[in-house]
Amino acid sequence: MQNKEDLPANATVDVVTSGKASEIDDWETIKDNDIMQQQSAILAEEAEKIQYVGDKEPVSSLAAEYQSGSAILLEKIKVLNEQYAALRRTRGDGNCFFRSFMFSYLEHILETQDQVEVDRVKASVEKCRKTLLDLGYTEFTFEDFFGLFIEQLESVLQGNEGSISQEELVARCRDQSVSDYVVMFFRFVTSGEIKRRSEFFEPFIMGLSNATVEQFCKSSVEPMGEESDHVHITALSDALGVPIRVVYLDRSSCDTGGTSVNHHDFIPTSEALPSTASGGSEASKPYITLLYRPGHYDILYCK
Amino acid sequence: MTSPSASTPKALSKIACNRLQKELVEWQVNPPVGFKHKVTDDLQRWVIEVNGAPGTLYANETFQLQVDFPEHYPMEAPQVVFIPPAPLHPHIYSNGHICLDILYDSWSPAMTVSSVCISILSMLSSSTEKQRPADNDRYVKKCRNGRSPKETRWWFHDDKV
Repeated sequence: MQNKEDLPANATVDVVTSGKASEIDDWETIKDNDIMQQQSAILAEEAEKIQYVGDKEPVSSLAAEYQSGSAILLEKIKVLNEQYAALRRTRGDGNCFFRSFMFSYLEHILETQDQVEVDRVKASVEKCRKTLLDLGYTEFTFEDFFGLFIEQLESVLQGNEGSISQEELVARCRDQSVSDYVVMFFRFVTSGEIKRRSEFFEPFIMGLSNATVEQFCKSSVEPMGEESDHVHITALSDALGVPIRVVYLDRSSCDTGGTSVNHHDFIPTSEALPSTASGGSEASKPYITLLYRPGHYDILYCK
Repeated sequence: MTSPSASTPKALSKIACNRLQKELVEWQVNPPVGFKHKVTDDLQRWVIEVNGAPGTLYANETFQLQVDFPEHYPMEAPQVVFIPPAPLHPHIYSNGHICLDILYDSWSPAMTVSSVCISILSMLSSSTEKQRPADNDRYVKKCRNGRSPKETRWWFHDDKV
């Protein structure tokens, strides 16, 4: 949630045309300015009521937010409730995609104890490290973040000295000193992948923001709190080789008659592997499912 | 609310301390052109001398930047101000506060003191007129209580200068 984007358009214009700092002289803008500050304070307060990563809850709990809203959303929530076992909310602080991915991925490793996957992802992380160095990043700017992610990855594998339980994983993902660092790790990885394949990402970025790849990474990927779009998801999924399903809960209706909920699968491009005719193997089936509502991602659990 | 600059800053976290030590070593090996770090034993506050680039409006002028690091650096941005007298520039207030997005909303842990310095010098170098921001007096008056520039709600609308 970027507060500035939620502001009334007239306020933005007034403020931008006068000064650089927000103290403005005429009454109109003082009023707008007060409202803006109030709005942003309210949004910040609202966001903090929700943990970085919430508790598991029934999908049907979503309905409470739409009781007076559109019937199509309530219908879709019913469908989701039948298809998915549970929901886990994340805080709407602009990091929700990365935070959801972090928890979902680490929880998957904790539950499956998939050593092969851990070895595979570690190799991908090494490639990302090399990408950043090749791009000219100074190693000390990212090494702590990489180290912290590898530490979390190893600790969800059981039987080691530092192994952690599911409860501890929840606690760590709620602890700013771990959670934000892992989010930042993903931001580095995402930025590196976008820059490494800038020719591929450029048209999508132009469509989104009319910025260059370099500007986009600097202003919309690397700072904390910047929201994610399909460009970020594609880049992260490709860089780490982890498929992601995003389920869309929006007002769009389908022409097939009955209510259904759209989803999109982000399947990593396997540059290293030769593409086979059979394609969609077990490996490319997403085990991470996120629920997207305009401006926000939460975690979904499959039945 | 008390201003962070008025109260004693919280000590650096272990991660912040490690990171700053690495930045300091890197700076000593490879300092950005036009800057000189004044060596002190305070890791949490750096004072840096800036020389205006040759061929720009600020050639042959020297300024001082004060960089204060928060407990959770680099997750949180450093506070960067000019120690008055600050350069005459449309984005620099007479109290030394700098209107530059990377110091606030657009800060990222991918940046370093060195990269911030380079951005500030580039901002100075591209200036075409030596003047204060239009709202200088009003803003500076508001800051008399010692408020940090990080508490200002900045609007960045001009990326040409």
